[in-house]
Amino acid sequence: MTTDATSGKVVRLGAGMAFWGDSVKPAAEMVRATDLDYLCCDHLAELTMSILAKQKAKNPAYGYTRDVLALLEGVLPAAVEKGTRIITNAGGANPDAAAERIAELAKDLGLSDIRIAVVTGDDISGRIDELMAAGVPFANMDNGRRLAEVRDRLTHAAVYTGSEGIVEALEGGADVVVCGRVTDIALYLGPLIYEFGWAWDDWDRLGMATAVAHAAECGGQATGGLYAGGWQEVDGLEELGYPIVEVADDGTAVITKTPGSGGRVDVGTVSEQMVYEVLDPHNYVTADVTADFSGVRLEEVGPDRVRISGVTGKPRPESLKVNMGYRAGFVGEITFTYTWPDVYAKAQRGLSFLRKRLERAGFECSEEVVEYLGHNSAWGSVIPEPDDPDRNELVVRYAARCADAENARKVFTESVPLYNNGPAGVAGVGTRPPLKELYGLWSSLIPREHVQQSVRFITV
Amino acid sequence: MTSTAVRRVADLAHGRSGDKGDICNIGIVAYDVAGYAELREHLTEERVKAHFGELVQGTVTRYEMPNIRALNFVCTGALNGGGTLSLRSDHLGKVMYAWLLKMELPVSDA
Repeated sequence: MTTDATSGKVVRLGAGMAFWGDSVKPAAEMVRATDLDYLCCDHLAELTMSILAKQKAKNPAYGYTRDVLALLEGVLPAAVEKGTRIITNAGGANPDAAAERIAELAKDLGLSDIRIAVVTGDDISGRIDELMAAGVPFANMDNGRRLAEVRDRLTHAAVYTGSEGIVEALEGGADVVVCGRVTDIALYLGPLIYEFGWAWDDWDRLGMATAVAHAAECGGQATGGLYAGGWQEVDGLEELGYPIVEVADDGTAVITKTPGSGGRVDVGTVSEQMVYEVLDPHNYVTADVTADFSGVRLEEVGPDRVRISGVTGKPRPESLKVNMGYRAGFVGEITFTYTWPDVYAKAQRGLSFLRKRLERAGFECSEEVVEYLGHNSAWGSVIPEPDDPDRNELVVRYAARCADAENARKVFTESVPLYNNGPAGVAGVGTRPPLKELYGLWSSLIPREHVQQSVRFITV
Repeated sequence: MTSTAVRRVADLAHGRSGDKGDICNIGIVAYDVAGYAELREHLTEERVKAHFGELVQGTVTRYEMPNIRALNFVCTGALNGGGTLSLRSDHLGKVMYAWLLKMELPVSDA
C-alpha cells in the first residue's frame, strides 16, 4: 500500500482484460497476488458490438463476450475471498444473459451470497424510430451523412454510457457488475467516484482519473507490450503483468503491475499508452467528463512504479456518442506466392490472370487492394514496387470488398486455376478461406436526456 | 553518429498508433528534451502529411503533450474507410507509427 499526500485513502484497481479474447491468466494472478479493491475488465472494441449483436440474433442466449466465463472461473473464488469487486462490460449486446450465466458459474464454483448487478440502458437498437421522431437525427458525426443511407442494414445501436450505473450498482452492494456498452473509462471511473464520493461535476478529479483509467484500460500495452522504445529490453512478455493503478483522492495515481510478473512499468512504456487512441489531448471526451491530457506528467517513483499527474477536466459533453453497426458486404481474399526468377513480373501476370477471370465471371466489387506481404502490406503505395528480378519470393495478397457473399466467393474460385494454368513458380495454394463479413461503424450523437441507465440485481 | 549517417525520427523518439473509425492517431514520444525540440520544429503537419502520401487521404493535425515530450498526429481518412471496413492488412493502423519513425531528418550542422 502506498501513502499519498492528499489523504490516506488509496483505491487499487487492476486491469483484468483489455479486449475480447485477451489472456485471462494475468487477471487471475493479479487477484491472487495482490490486494485489489476492484478488477476492471474491458472486453469491447468498436467492432465487437456488431459481432455480439449478430450472435444474439442467432441465439437469444448469446450476445455477450463468453470469455468472461473463463475469466471469472479463474478469478471469482479468490476475488470473493479477498473482497475484490469485479466490473466488466462483457455484457456486450446481452448483459442480462451474461449475468445469468455468471450466476450459474458462481453456483457451480460453490460460491454463495454473490450479488451480481446488471447495468443496462446503452442499447437503443429498438428505439431508433422513436428517437428520430423525437428529433435525434443520428447524422454521421464524421461526415454529416444521413442515417437513411444505412438504416435498413443496421445491426445494433449502443450508446457509450458513463459511470452512473456502475456507481449505483456498487452502492447496491454488487460483487460483480456486468455492463453493456459503458465507456472503457467508466469501468475505472465508476468505482473511484463511488469510493471517494467525488461530485459529478468535480471535473478536475474526474479528468485526472480518466487519464489514470486510460493508462490502465489497454492492459499489457502499458506494461511493456508493444513497447517501441526498446522491446528488446522488456523481459517476460509471456508472463506480462497487467497494470494496477493505486489512485488517491485527488485522482492522481501510481501505475504499477502484478509483483513478480513480466514486463515493466516505466515512463517509456506508460508514455506510449498515454498517446494511444487519443485525438485532441486537450479534449479527451468521455461520457462523464472532458479530460485535458495535454499537461500529463509521468514520474518514476520506484521500480515498476510510475506516478501520473497533471491532468485536468472540463464539463462533460451534453450529448453521448452512439455507435451503430451496419452490414457492409463481404471480403473476398486470396494470397499466392511466386518464386525466383522475375517474381514481380510473374506476380503482375498472375494478377492480370485473376482479374480477367473475375471479369468473365461477372465479378463486382466496390474496392480492391493488392499488397505484397513482407514488402508493403503495412505501408502500401508509399513503398516502391518490389521489382528486383533477383528477389527470392513474393507473396501477393489480393482482397476485394463486395456487396454480397456470392461475389466475394469468386475471388477464391477464380484464383484456383493460377496453380496449374498461370505463370511458373507459384506456391502457397490453400484451401478455401472462410468469408469475412464486413460491418461499418456509424458514429453519431444523442442528447443525454434520452439515455437512462438502469440497474438490476441478482443474488446467488 | 557520423555526419554522413542518415538520421531518422527513430533516433530521437519512439511511438505508437491506433484507430478511431477512419482516423489514425500517431503518437511520437521523444527520448529527451532536445529531441522533442527538434521534432517539434521538423515534424510539421505538412511534412507528416507528405510522408504518408496516399495512406492518409484526409488531414493531419498535430497536438502537443510537452511534459511527456509527445507529439500526437491525428490523421483523417487514414484507414481505408475505418478498421472494420479496411481491406488493408494493417486495418487498425497499428504500425503507422513505424513509418513516421522511419522518416529521415535533415542532417544537422555536419
